[in-house]
Amino acid sequence: MRKTVLVVEDEFLIAMDLKLLLERHGWWVLGPAASVEEALALMDEELPAVAILDVTLRDGTVSLVAEALRAEDIPFVVASAYDKPEHVGGEILAGAPNVGKPTDQRLLLAALEQAIYRMNGTSLPLDP
Amino acid sequence: MNLEDLYRLMRNGHVQAQGIIDTVPEPLLVLDQNLCVQTASRSFFSTFKVDRDETIGQHLYELGDRQWDIPELRLLLEDVIPKSKAVVDYEVEHDFPGLGRRTMLVSAHRLFHPDNISRSLLLSIVDATKRREHEAEKDVLLGELRHRMRNLLALVQAMARQTTAAGRSGEEYRDAFLGRFNALVQAHDVAFSHNGAADLQQVVERTVAPYSGSPAGVIVEPGPTVPLASGQIMSLSLILHELATNAIKYGALSVATGQVRLRWEIEEASAPRLRLVWQESGGPPVAAPASSGFGTQLIEFAAKRELGGRVELNYAPAGLMVEIVAPLASVS
Repeated sequence: MRKTVLVVEDEFLIAMDLKLLLERHGWWVLGPAASVEEALALMDEELPAVAILDVTLRDGTVSLVAEALRAEDIPFVVASAYDKPEHVGGEILAGAPNVGKPTDQRLLLAALEQAIYRMNGTSLPLDP
Repeated sequence: MNLEDLYRLMRNGHVQAQGIIDTVPEPLLVLDQNLCVQTASRSFFSTFKVDRDETIGQHLYELGDRQWDIPELRLLLEDVIPKSKAVVDYEVEHDFPGLGRRTMLVSAHRLFHPDNISRSLLLSIVDATKRREHEAEKDVLLGELRHRMRNLLALVQAMARQTTAAGRSGEEYRDAFLGRFNALVQAHDVAFSHNGAADLQQVVERTVAPYSGSPAGVIVEPGPTVPLASGQIMSLSLILHELATNAIKYGALSVATGQVRLRWEIEEASAPRLRLVWQESGGPPVAAPASSGFGTQLIEFAAKRELGGRVELNYAPAGLMVEIVAPLASVS
Protein backbone atom coordinates (compact mmCIF):
# COMPACT_ATOMS: atom_id res chain seq x y z
CA MET A 1 0.00 0.00 0.00
CA ARG A 2 1.07 3.56 -0.72
CA LYS A 3 1.82 5.58 2.38
CA THR A 4 1.35 9.28 1.82
CA VAL A 5 2.63 12.17 3.87
CA LEU A 6 1.72 15.83 3.46
CA VAL A 7 4.78 18.06 3.90
CA VAL A 8 4.05 21.65 4.90
CA GLU A 9 7.21 23.80 5.04
CA ASP A 10 7.93 27.23 3.56
CA GLU A 11 11.74 27.23 3.64
CA PHE A 12 12.50 25.73 0.24
CA LEU A 13 15.77 23.98 1.11
CA ILE A 14 14.25 22.33 4.17
CA ALA A 15 11.13 21.45 2.20
CA MET A 16 13.28 19.83 -0.50
CA ASP A 17 15.29 17.96 2.09
CA LEU A 18 12.15 16.58 3.76
CA LYS A 19 10.66 15.55 0.44
CA LEU A 20 13.78 13.76 -0.80
CA LEU A 21 14.44 12.19 2.58
CA LEU A 22 10.91 10.85 2.91
CA GLU A 23 10.80 9.60 -0.68
CA ARG A 24 14.05 7.77 -0.10
CA HIS A 25 12.33 5.97 2.78
CA GLY A 26 9.34 4.83 0.79
CA TRP A 27 6.91 7.66 1.48
CA TRP A 28 4.76 9.23 -1.19
CA VAL A 29 5.01 12.97 -0.59
CA LEU A 30 2.16 15.43 -1.12
CA GLY A 31 3.61 18.92 -1.46
CA PRO A 32 5.72 20.39 -0.10
CA ALA A 33 3.22 23.16 0.55
CA ALA A 34 4.67 26.55 1.47
CA SER A 35 1.40 28.16 2.52
CA VAL A 36 -1.87 27.35 4.27
CA GLU A 37 -3.70 27.90 1.00
CA GLU A 38 -1.48 25.43 -0.86
CA ALA A 39 -1.75 22.81 1.88
CA LEU A 40 -5.55 23.00 1.95
CA ALA A 41 -5.68 22.80 -1.85
CA LEU A 42 -3.53 19.65 -1.77
CA MET A 43 -5.86 18.12 0.83
CA ASP A 44 -8.81 18.81 -1.45
CA GLU A 45 -7.20 16.56 -4.04
CA GLU A 46 -5.91 13.79 -1.84
CA LEU A 47 -5.88 13.08 1.88
CA PRO A 48 -2.56 11.90 3.32
CA ALA A 49 -2.09 9.22 5.97
CA VAL A 50 -0.09 11.65 8.09
CA ALA A 51 1.33 15.17 7.85
CA ILE A 52 4.45 16.98 8.93
CA LEU A 53 3.91 20.66 9.73
CA ASP A 54 6.10 23.72 10.02
CA VAL A 55 4.47 26.34 12.26
CA THR A 56 4.87 29.70 10.51
CA LEU A 57 4.07 29.72 6.82
CA ARG A 58 3.99 32.43 4.15
CA ASP A 59 0.34 33.29 4.78
CA GLY A 60 0.14 32.78 8.52
CA THR A 61 0.40 29.98 11.05
CA VAL A 62 -0.30 26.37 10.21
CA SER A 63 -3.25 26.14 12.63
CA LEU A 64 -5.91 26.08 9.87
CA VAL A 65 -4.14 23.13 8.25
CA ALA A 66 -3.92 21.36 11.60
CA GLU A 67 -7.65 21.89 12.15
CA ALA A 68 -8.46 20.54 8.68
CA LEU A 69 -6.32 17.47 9.40
CA ARG A 70 -7.94 16.96 12.81
CA ALA A 71 -11.39 17.18 11.20
CA GLU A 72 -10.39 14.30 8.90
CA ASP A 73 -8.80 12.28 11.73
CA ILE A 74 -5.41 12.58 10.08
CA PRO A 75 -2.52 12.60 12.57
CA PHE A 76 0.29 15.12 12.26
CA VAL A 77 3.71 15.80 13.69
CA VAL A 78 5.26 19.23 14.04
CA ALA A 79 8.78 20.12 12.88
CA SER A 80 9.44 23.45 14.49
CA ALA A 81 12.36 25.48 15.77
CA TYR A 82 10.07 26.79 18.51
CA ASP A 83 10.25 25.12 21.91
CA LYS A 84 6.50 25.43 22.32
CA PRO A 85 4.90 25.48 18.86
CA GLU A 86 1.44 25.84 20.43
CA HIS A 87 2.42 29.31 21.72
CA VAL A 88 2.83 30.42 18.12
CA GLY A 89 0.47 28.19 16.18
CA GLY A 90 -2.33 27.81 18.72
CA GLU A 91 -3.69 25.10 21.01
CA ILE A 92 -4.41 22.75 18.12
CA LEU A 93 -0.66 21.97 18.03
CA ALA A 94 -0.45 21.14 21.74
CA GLY A 95 0.16 17.46 22.26
CA ALA A 96 1.39 16.82 18.74
CA PRO A 97 4.93 15.47 18.76
CA ASN A 98 7.54 18.09 17.79
CA VAL A 99 10.44 16.48 15.98
CA GLY A 100 12.29 19.80 16.10
CA LYS A 101 14.35 21.75 13.66
CA PRO A 102 17.00 20.78 12.65
CA THR A 103 15.22 17.45 12.32
CA ASP A 104 16.82 14.16 13.15
CA GLN A 105 16.05 11.71 10.37
CA ARG A 106 15.37 8.67 12.54
CA LEU A 107 13.25 10.65 14.97
CA LEU A 108 11.17 12.03 12.12
CA LEU A 109 10.58 8.63 10.50
CA ALA A 110 9.68 7.03 13.82
CA ALA A 111 7.34 9.89 14.76
CA LEU A 112 5.41 9.57 11.50
CA GLU A 113 4.95 5.81 11.95
CA GLN A 114 3.95 6.25 15.59
CA ALA A 115 1.46 9.02 14.75
CA ILE A 116 -0.31 6.71 12.33
CA TYR A 117 -0.15 3.84 14.77
CA ARG A 118 -1.65 5.89 17.59
CA MET A 119 -4.45 7.15 15.37
CA ASN A 120 -5.40 3.84 13.77
CA GLY A 121 -4.12 1.28 16.20
CA THR A 122 -2.34 -0.34 13.27
CA SER A 123 1.06 0.22 11.81
CA LEU A 124 1.97 0.67 8.20
CA PRO A 125 4.46 -1.87 6.89
CA LEU A 126 7.95 -0.72 7.72
CA ASP A 127 10.64 -0.49 5.14
CA PRO A 128 12.58 -3.63 4.42
CA MET B 1 28.27 65.52 79.03
CA ASN B 2 25.31 67.62 79.83
CA LEU B 3 21.79 67.43 78.58
CA GLU B 4 22.53 70.08 76.00
CA ASP B 5 25.35 67.99 74.47
CA LEU B 6 23.29 64.87 74.48
CA TYR B 7 20.45 66.63 72.73
CA ARG B 8 22.85 67.98 70.13
CA LEU B 9 24.32 64.56 69.56
CA MET B 10 20.93 62.99 69.18
CA ARG B 11 19.81 65.70 66.87
CA ASN B 12 23.00 65.36 64.84
CA GLY B 13 22.47 61.65 64.78
CA HIS B 14 19.01 62.19 63.48
CA VAL B 15 20.17 64.66 60.86
CA GLN B 16 22.85 62.22 59.85
CA ALA B 17 20.37 59.38 59.60
CA GLN B 18 17.99 61.48 57.54
CA GLY B 19 20.91 62.48 55.34
CA ILE B 20 21.79 58.86 54.75
CA ILE B 21 18.21 57.97 53.99
CA ASP B 22 17.94 60.79 51.48
CA THR B 23 20.96 59.57 49.54
CA VAL B 24 19.35 56.20 48.92
CA PRO B 25 18.12 56.35 45.34
CA GLU B 26 15.18 54.02 46.02
CA PRO B 27 12.07 54.98 47.95
CA LEU B 28 12.73 54.08 51.58
CA LEU B 29 10.45 54.14 54.61
CA VAL B 30 11.24 53.80 58.28
CA LEU B 31 8.19 52.49 60.12
CA ASP B 32 7.66 52.13 63.85
CA GLN B 33 6.29 48.93 65.37
CA ASN B 34 2.74 50.07 64.63
CA LEU B 35 3.58 50.57 60.95
CA CYS B 36 3.45 54.34 61.20
CA VAL B 37 5.94 56.28 59.10
CA GLN B 38 8.82 57.67 61.16
CA THR B 39 10.72 58.98 58.22
CA ALA B 40 10.96 58.56 54.49
CA SER B 41 13.55 59.19 51.80
CA ARG B 42 13.26 62.03 49.35
CA SER B 43 12.80 59.58 46.47
CA PHE B 44 9.76 58.10 48.25
CA PHE B 45 8.05 61.48 48.05
CA SER B 46 9.03 62.11 44.45
CA THR B 47 8.28 58.60 43.20
CA PHE B 48 4.84 58.35 44.75
CA LYS B 49 4.10 62.07 44.38
CA VAL B 50 3.25 62.57 48.03
CA ASP B 51 3.92 65.36 50.44
CA ARG B 52 6.23 65.08 53.44
CA ASP B 53 3.60 66.44 55.81
CA GLU B 54 0.87 64.07 54.72
CA THR B 55 3.26 61.12 55.13
CA ILE B 56 5.26 61.38 58.36
CA GLY B 57 3.38 60.03 61.35
CA GLN B 58 0.73 58.37 59.23
CA HIS B 59 -0.03 54.68 59.28
CA LEU B 60 1.33 52.99 56.17
CA TYR B 61 -2.08 51.76 55.06
CA GLU B 62 -3.55 55.25 55.38
CA LEU B 63 -1.01 56.83 53.05
CA GLY B 64 -2.12 58.41 49.77
CA ASP B 65 -5.75 57.27 49.56
CA ARG B 66 -4.86 53.89 51.05
CA GLN B 67 -2.75 53.03 48.01
CA TRP B 68 -0.45 50.93 50.18
CA ASP B 69 -3.28 48.92 51.67
CA ILE B 70 -2.43 45.99 49.45
CA PRO B 71 -3.26 42.40 50.45
CA GLU B 72 0.19 41.11 49.38
CA LEU B 73 1.90 43.83 51.38
CA ARG B 74 -0.30 43.17 54.42
CA LEU B 75 0.71 39.52 54.24
CA LEU B 76 4.36 40.55 54.13
CA LEU B 77 4.16 43.02 57.01
CA GLU B 78 1.84 41.10 59.31
CA ASP B 79 2.86 37.55 58.59
CA VAL B 80 6.24 37.21 56.92
CA ILE B 81 8.29 39.95 58.56
CA PRO B 82 7.47 39.20 62.20
CA LYS B 83 8.91 35.73 61.64
CA SER B 84 12.08 36.80 59.89
CA LYS B 85 14.81 39.35 60.29
CA ALA B 86 14.93 40.47 56.69
CA VAL B 87 12.98 40.02 53.49
CA VAL B 88 14.54 40.77 50.13
CA ASP B 89 12.73 41.63 46.89
CA TYR B 90 9.24 40.56 47.83
CA GLU B 91 7.17 41.17 44.71
CA VAL B 92 4.01 43.25 44.96
CA GLU B 93 1.89 43.96 41.91
CA HIS B 94 -0.58 46.75 42.31
CA ASP B 95 -2.49 49.47 40.51
CA PHE B 96 -1.21 52.70 42.03
CA PRO B 97 -3.50 55.69 41.50
CA GLY B 98 -1.64 58.13 39.26
CA LEU B 99 1.14 55.64 38.51
CA GLY B 100 -0.78 52.78 36.96
CA ARG B 101 0.00 49.08 37.22
CA ARG B 102 3.38 48.58 38.80
CA THR B 103 5.58 45.73 39.93
CA MET B 104 7.28 46.72 43.17
CA LEU B 105 10.05 44.84 44.88
CA VAL B 106 9.77 45.38 48.62
CA SER B 107 12.70 44.66 50.90
CA ALA B 108 12.38 44.91 54.67
CA HIS B 109 14.79 44.87 57.54
CA ARG B 110 13.89 45.03 61.23
CA LEU B 111 15.90 47.39 63.40
CA PHE B 112 16.30 46.94 67.13
CA HIS B 113 17.16 49.96 69.17
CA PRO B 114 19.60 48.82 71.84
CA ASP B 115 18.56 51.50 74.36
CA ASN B 116 14.88 50.81 74.37
CA ILE B 117 12.86 47.89 73.15
CA SER B 118 11.30 49.78 70.28
CA ARG B 119 11.40 48.02 66.94
CA SER B 120 11.41 49.89 63.75
CA LEU B 121 11.22 48.60 60.25
CA LEU B 122 13.24 49.69 57.24
CA LEU B 123 11.24 49.25 54.06
CA SER B 124 12.68 49.85 50.61
CA ILE B 125 10.44 49.84 47.58
CA VAL B 126 11.94 49.43 44.14
CA ASP B 127 9.81 50.00 41.09
CA ALA B 128 10.79 47.03 38.95
CA THR B 129 8.12 47.54 36.30
CA LYS B 130 10.54 48.82 33.63
CA ARG B 131 13.12 46.21 34.52
CA ARG B 132 10.50 43.46 34.24
CA GLU B 133 9.37 44.82 30.89
CA HIS B 134 12.96 44.88 29.64
CA GLU B 135 13.49 41.35 30.87
CA ALA B 136 10.34 40.20 29.07
CA GLU B 137 11.44 41.95 25.86
CA LYS B 138 14.89 40.43 26.15
CA ASP B 139 13.35 36.97 26.56
CA VAL B 140 11.28 37.49 23.42
CA LEU B 141 14.35 38.63 21.48
CA LEU B 142 16.46 35.73 22.71
CA GLY B 143 13.66 33.33 21.80
CA GLU B 144 13.52 34.79 18.30
CA LEU B 145 17.29 34.58 17.96
CA ARG B 146 17.23 30.94 19.04
CA HIS B 147 14.51 30.24 16.52
CA ARG B 148 16.51 31.84 13.72
CA MET B 149 19.66 30.00 14.68
CA ARG B 150 17.84 26.69 14.61
CA ASN B 151 16.40 27.52 11.20
CA LEU B 152 19.86 28.33 9.92
CA LEU B 153 21.18 25.07 11.34
CA ALA B 154 18.32 23.25 9.63
CA LEU B 155 19.41 24.77 6.29
CA VAL B 156 22.94 23.53 6.86
CA GLN B 157 21.59 20.13 7.82
CA ALA B 158 19.50 19.97 4.63
CA MET B 159 22.60 20.73 2.55
CA ALA B 160 24.72 18.18 4.37
CA ARG B 161 22.05 15.51 3.99
CA GLN B 162 21.31 16.15 0.33
CA THR B 163 24.84 16.67 -0.99
CA THR B 164 25.64 13.46 -2.83
CA ALA B 165 27.90 11.11 -0.92
CA ALA B 166 27.52 7.92 -2.97
CA GLY B 167 30.42 7.26 -5.36
CA ARG B 168 32.46 10.14 -3.97
CA SER B 169 35.54 10.31 -1.82
CA GLY B 170 35.25 11.96 1.56
CA GLU B 171 37.25 14.85 0.18
CA GLU B 172 34.94 15.33 -2.77
CA TYR B 173 31.90 15.25 -0.53
CA ARG B 174 33.47 17.76 1.81
CA ASP B 175 34.33 20.18 -0.98
CA ALA B 176 30.87 19.92 -2.52
CA PHE B 177 29.23 20.48 0.85
CA LEU B 178 31.50 23.38 1.81
CA GLY B 179 30.88 25.05 -1.55
CA ARG B 180 27.15 25.10 -0.86
CA PHE B 181 27.76 26.06 2.75
CA ASN B 182 29.83 29.03 1.60
CA ALA B 183 27.07 30.14 -0.78
CA LEU B 184 24.68 30.06 2.17
CA VAL B 185 27.08 32.11 4.29
CA GLN B 186 27.53 34.68 1.51
CA ALA B 187 23.77 34.95 1.00
CA HIS B 188 23.26 35.36 4.72
CA ASP B 189 25.91 38.08 4.86
CA VAL B 190 24.38 40.03 1.99
CA ALA B 191 20.85 39.64 3.32
CA PHE B 192 21.57 40.74 6.86
CA SER B 193 24.20 43.41 6.31
CA HIS B 194 21.54 45.59 4.69
CA ASN B 195 18.53 45.00 6.92
CA GLY B 196 17.24 42.16 4.78
CA ALA B 197 17.43 43.90 1.42
CA ALA B 198 20.16 44.04 -1.19
CA ASP B 199 20.69 44.57 -4.87
CA LEU B 200 21.02 41.81 -7.47
CA GLN B 201 24.41 43.19 -8.56
CA GLN B 202 25.85 42.60 -5.08
CA VAL B 203 24.45 39.11 -4.87
CA VAL B 204 25.85 38.18 -8.27
CA GLU B 205 29.27 39.65 -7.59
CA ARG B 206 29.68 37.96 -4.24
CA THR B 207 28.49 34.60 -5.49
CA VAL B 208 30.65 34.45 -8.61
CA ALA B 209 33.68 36.19 -7.07
CA PRO B 210 35.52 32.88 -6.48
CA TYR B 211 35.18 32.02 -10.20
CA SER B 212 35.94 35.38 -11.84
CA GLY B 213 39.69 35.09 -11.39
CA SER B 214 40.52 32.75 -14.29
CA PRO B 215 41.55 34.36 -17.62
CA ALA B 216 38.07 34.42 -19.02
CA GLY B 217 36.00 33.35 -16.04
CA VAL B 218 32.61 34.82 -15.37
CA ILE B 219 31.78 38.13 -16.98
CA VAL B 220 28.98 40.03 -15.33
CA GLU B 221 27.39 42.53 -17.69
CA PRO B 222 26.10 45.69 -16.07
CA GLY B 223 22.37 45.51 -15.55
CA PRO B 224 19.57 47.55 -14.03
CA THR B 225 19.17 47.86 -10.27
CA VAL B 226 17.00 45.08 -8.85
CA PRO B 227 16.30 45.21 -5.12
CA LEU B 228 15.92 41.77 -3.53
CA ALA B 229 14.34 40.52 -0.32
CA SER B 230 16.22 38.09 1.91
CA GLY B 231 14.45 34.94 0.64
CA GLN B 232 15.25 35.88 -2.94
CA ILE B 233 18.87 36.63 -2.09
CA MET B 234 19.18 33.16 -0.63
CA SER B 235 17.71 31.35 -3.62
CA LEU B 236 19.58 33.37 -6.27
CA SER B 237 22.87 32.88 -4.44
CA LEU B 238 22.33 29.14 -4.24
CA ILE B 239 21.24 28.93 -7.90
CA LEU B 240 24.30 30.85 -9.09
CA HIS B 241 26.55 28.73 -6.92
CA GLU B 242 25.13 25.52 -8.43
CA LEU B 243 25.60 26.89 -11.94
CA ALA B 244 29.17 27.94 -11.22
CA THR B 245 30.26 24.62 -9.67
CA ASN B 246 28.59 22.78 -12.52
CA ALA B 247 30.47 24.95 -15.04
CA ILE B 248 33.77 24.20 -13.31
CA LYS B 249 33.17 20.46 -13.25
CA TYR B 250 31.61 19.85 -16.66
CA GLY B 251 31.01 23.16 -18.41
CA ALA B 252 32.79 26.19 -19.80
CA LEU B 253 34.89 26.83 -16.70
CA SER B 254 36.41 23.33 -16.90
CA VAL B 255 38.75 24.58 -19.66
CA ALA B 256 40.95 27.68 -19.86
CA THR B 257 39.24 29.04 -22.96
CA GLY B 258 35.71 28.77 -21.56
CA GLN B 259 33.66 31.71 -20.47
CA VAL B 260 30.39 32.54 -18.74
CA ARG B 261 28.43 35.68 -19.44
CA LEU B 262 25.83 36.73 -16.94
CA ARG B 263 23.28 39.39 -17.79
CA TRP B 264 19.85 40.48 -16.68
CA GLU B 265 17.11 42.84 -17.65
CA ILE B 266 13.69 43.91 -16.44
CA GLU B 267 10.88 43.02 -18.77
CA GLU B 268 7.96 45.38 -18.70
CA ALA B 269 5.12 42.96 -19.21
CA SER B 270 1.77 43.43 -17.45
CA ALA B 271 3.81 43.02 -14.25
CA PRO B 272 7.57 43.67 -14.38
CA ARG B 273 9.70 40.51 -14.56
CA LEU B 274 13.36 39.82 -14.03
CA ARG B 275 15.07 37.87 -16.80
CA LEU B 276 18.49 36.54 -15.81
CA VAL B 277 20.61 34.72 -18.38
CA TRP B 278 23.63 32.51 -17.70
CA GLN B 279 25.39 31.80 -20.97
CA GLU B 280 28.39 29.48 -21.24
CA SER B 281 30.70 29.36 -24.25
CA GLY B 282 34.08 27.97 -25.28
CA GLY B 283 33.72 24.85 -23.16
CA PRO B 284 33.63 21.17 -24.08
CA PRO B 285 30.66 19.89 -26.09
CA VAL B 286 27.54 19.93 -23.97
CA ALA B 287 25.03 17.15 -23.40
CA ALA B 288 22.09 17.03 -21.04
CA PRO B 289 22.83 14.95 -17.94
CA ALA B 290 21.23 11.51 -17.78
CA SER B 291 19.62 12.18 -14.44
CA SER B 292 19.03 15.37 -12.55
CA GLY B 293 21.09 15.60 -9.37
CA PHE B 294 20.37 17.57 -6.26
CA GLY B 295 21.97 20.68 -7.80
CA THR B 296 19.56 20.74 -10.73
CA GLN B 297 16.61 20.02 -8.48
CA LEU B 298 17.71 22.85 -6.20
CA ILE B 299 17.87 25.27 -9.13
CA GLU B 300 14.40 24.32 -10.33
CA PHE B 301 12.89 24.26 -6.86
CA ALA B 302 14.36 27.63 -5.92
CA ALA B 303 13.29 29.31 -9.16
CA LYS B 304 9.77 27.96 -9.08
CA ARG B 305 8.91 27.83 -5.40
CA GLU B 306 10.99 30.59 -3.92
CA LEU B 307 11.11 33.10 -6.78
CA GLY B 308 7.68 32.17 -8.08
CA GLY B 309 9.09 32.04 -11.61
CA ARG B 310 10.48 29.51 -14.04
CA VAL B 311 13.86 28.29 -15.15
CA GLU B 312 14.98 26.83 -18.43
CA LEU B 313 18.17 24.82 -18.76
CA ASN B 314 19.11 24.66 -22.41
CA TYR B 315 21.95 22.19 -23.04
CA ALA B 316 22.94 23.69 -26.40
CA PRO B 317 26.07 22.12 -27.92
CA ALA B 318 27.88 25.49 -27.94
CA GLY B 319 27.33 25.94 -24.24
CA LEU B 320 24.75 25.68 -21.49
CA MET B 321 22.24 28.49 -21.44
CA VAL B 322 20.13 29.02 -18.34
CA GLU B 323 17.31 31.49 -18.28
CA ILE B 324 15.48 32.43 -15.11
CA VAL B 325 12.34 34.52 -15.31
CA ALA B 326 10.75 35.68 -12.08
CA PRO B 327 8.05 38.21 -11.35
CA LEU B 328 9.50 41.28 -9.69
CA ALA B 329 6.46 41.69 -7.49
CA SER B 330 7.60 38.64 -5.56
CA VAL B 331 11.26 39.68 -5.83
CA SER B 332 11.04 43.18 -4.41
